[in-house]
Amino acid sequence: MFLKIKHFKRDFNKWTLLIVALSLFLAIPVFSILISLFRGTGEMWEHITSYILFDYMKNSAFLIFGTGLLTFTIGTSSAWIVSKYTFRYKKIIEWLLFMPLAIPSYIVAYSYVGLMGNGGTFVEVLRDFGLSINRIEMMNIYGLIWVLSFSLYPYVYAGTRTIFQSYPSQLKHTASLLGVSEKKYFFSVALPLASPAIIGGLFLVFMEVLNDYGAAKYYGVSTFTTGIFRTWTALEDLQSSIYLSAILVILVFILVLIVKWLRGRRSYNLTQTNTNQKNANNTVKISGLKKILYLGILLIPILYGFILPLIQLVIWGLQTFDSMFNYDLIVLGLESLILGLSTALFVVFLACLLIYLSKWNYFKQFNVFSKIATLGYVIPGAIIGVGIVRTSKSLTDLFSFQFNFEIGHLVYNSILVLIYAYVFRFIAVAYNSIEGNTLKLGKNLSESSYLLGFGEIKTFFKIDFPLLKNALISSFILVLIDVMKELPLTLILKPYNLSTLALRAYEYAEDERVAEAALPALFLIFLIGTMITLLNFKLRENKQ
Amino acid sequence: MKILEIENLSKSFESKFEVVSDCTLNIQTGNICAIVGESGSGKTTLFRLIAGLERPDKGTIRINGTLMSSDKFIRDVKDRNVGLVFQDFSLFPHLTVKENIEFGLKNNKDEKVKKLLETIKMENFPNRYPNEISGGQQQRVSLARSLAMDPELLLLDEPFSSLDTQLKSKIRLELRDIINKIGISSVFITHDIIDALEIADEIIFMDNGKIIRQCLIEDVFKEIKDAKIQNNMVELKRNAELILSALKKN
Repeated sequence: MFLKIKHFKRDFNKWTLLIVALSLFLAIPVFSILISLFRGTGEMWEHITSYILFDYMKNSAFLIFGTGLLTFTIGTSSAWIVSKYTFRYKKIIEWLLFMPLAIPSYIVAYSYVGLMGNGGTFVEVLRDFGLSINRIEMMNIYGLIWVLSFSLYPYVYAGTRTIFQSYPSQLKHTASLLGVSEKKYFFSVALPLASPAIIGGLFLVFMEVLNDYGAAKYYGVSTFTTGIFRTWTALEDLQSSIYLSAILVILVFILVLIVKWLRGRRSYNLTQTNTNQKNANNTVKISGLKKILYLGILLIPILYGFILPLIQLVIWGLQTFDSMFNYDLIVLGLESLILGLSTALFVVFLACLLIYLSKWNYFKQFNVFSKIATLGYVIPGAIIGVGIVRTSKSLTDLFSFQFNFEIGHLVYNSILVLIYAYVFRFIAVAYNSIEGNTLKLGKNLSESSYLLGFGEIKTFFKIDFPLLKNALISSFILVLIDVMKELPLTLILKPYNLSTLALRAYEYAEDERVAEAALPALFLIFLIGTMITLLNFKLRENKQ
Repeated sequence: MKILEIENLSKSFESKFEVVSDCTLNIQTGNICAIVGESGSGKTTLFRLIAGLERPDKGTIRINGTLMSSDKFIRDVKDRNVGLVFQDFSLFPHLTVKENIEFGLKNNKDEKVKKLLETIKMENFPNRYPNEISGGQQQRVSLARSLAMDPELLLLDEPFSSLDTQLKSKIRLELRDIINKIGISSVFITHDIIDALEIADEIIFMDNGKIIRQCLIEDVFKEIKDAKIQNNMVELKRNAELILSALKKN
């Protein structure tokens, strides 16, 4: 390390202290789990390792493999068609391809049971066409892969589309001059060049798969996340669930290292592509059979990831409208929105603070703490929840035994604890996006301001903030969407008197009242859909 | 009287390699000094150390007799009263020409901005945004923004690097006129010795992070034996590379 002890007194400033303190505070759940590992295994650990652990590992690995394959196929093919071809209603289709993100995967899972089950809407349509089937079995691991893939492919689609659109037209022309067919160009040039974006998108998909609780639980598939919940709630063994969490954290970090290695080795692709926006994106108009085929490919993910689940939810929503649409539902929606808005505000504020404290602190070695604070996105929500509960328990015990003072209600029943957990889970979303934009701004502008007599904070408000405004709004919306969809953390940490639309939908579905889950779900989709549309506008504004 | 005194200044980054190595130099008040060196010779890092944008590993910096940095003390950037014109001009893109110039001012804003706009011949464009003016105009606005603060020392980072050859000569003279008019001590860095020969009073040569030579501009001419070259500025410019290598050898 390059820590210049000699200059510690000279260079140590309040920002160094703040960044360490803030990062450590945010990363408490990680430290809590690590420390808990030294307390030994729980009572049920032997039973888990002998009978269940292998199932969790096998199912989680199969889910990752299956959803990875399917999201890769859907995401890259639709990204390619959208970036290289022009057709009618392209803008609407581009927007619709993002819309599956508006429906949380557990809600898609419920709606598929309604669509494909006995007398299900989709099954009835098939029967009308003369097919003699009673049901399509969805409640198994294959059904779960289907549901998660059509919910999560936009993560692969988004990044890949941006890369495909940035290819210079010379690249294609050179390939054509060399006699390379379109198929060969796609597989041997376009796809390898886009691999960093594809790997990045797939990594996000894997994280979402590992984080999923609602869909896996509903379909009865045992995964690590359902296992952590089950061990803790049904087997009442918090310590064993911490051990399970630790194994999952280790697996996730191995995954992170693999992704980093893969992306690092391929990063040369981007620098060698000579991407020039002026030359980029020469789209071709398609017609005839090719048009029908390509439109068909684009409509499949929109149909299965958005339209069919939405139709089912609307049908259920209309059936239950009279009993379910009431004042409580509106209040619930508003509560969810306020919770999301306030959390997103905290997250964007703290992400900005972490980024700028790293800039202002002279001991760059301490910036590693800010990276620890942003680990939340690669740690499934259930683990963060367990980490916080563990910390809460330790705090409660400490106050109870040492000071004879009960603080249980402060840590178990406070909305601040839930917001804190959301902040740790989602701060990386805002951090990465804002950090990318600050790097684009460079440091000369703020340094000019310092030279003109302004301090760090005034410079931030006068220079950086106005120039980063759009990026901050985009990050705010991204976090808001994530918070409103979040389930496992909310399930573990919500105060007794609080509910969210996501939670209400989950609770109805768990009680086998799936139809009644539709209105809260639709309300949630409406809110998230509006956010995605707003985000689309903001991103276009940023581009301009 | 010395405007800038640097003693045994060193700076290294993550690697052990010293980007600025044991540099000692003095610059007289009122002079225009050029720091000449190839890319990677440590000129920009030296500049950033003087401005306070980097922290030295060892050595001291004094501006106008006041200590700016040492092993135990560092004066904040905003309190150094140093103006710096960046190579890319770094104008605030969301502010107009006028707003850029008055950015650091606290009082007498209008009067001072008007005077500076006249000095840089931009009085007709106060409400234009940086992207609406040419590169040369952007440079002048950036200069005016620094001068507005009445700095004791003006630093210019490669002020002519982004200009084409024809425009370069014109801008060099313009810059020299403005600096002389204001009467401020200035240091600029360049990799082109002709820039230095044309407008500087003294030159500092840097190589591999070290100062290899510091001399007044008349000494440069004295060292050139060929009388023909001495009398012919055009030839002198053509032979700039020869001069540089001769000075390095000496």
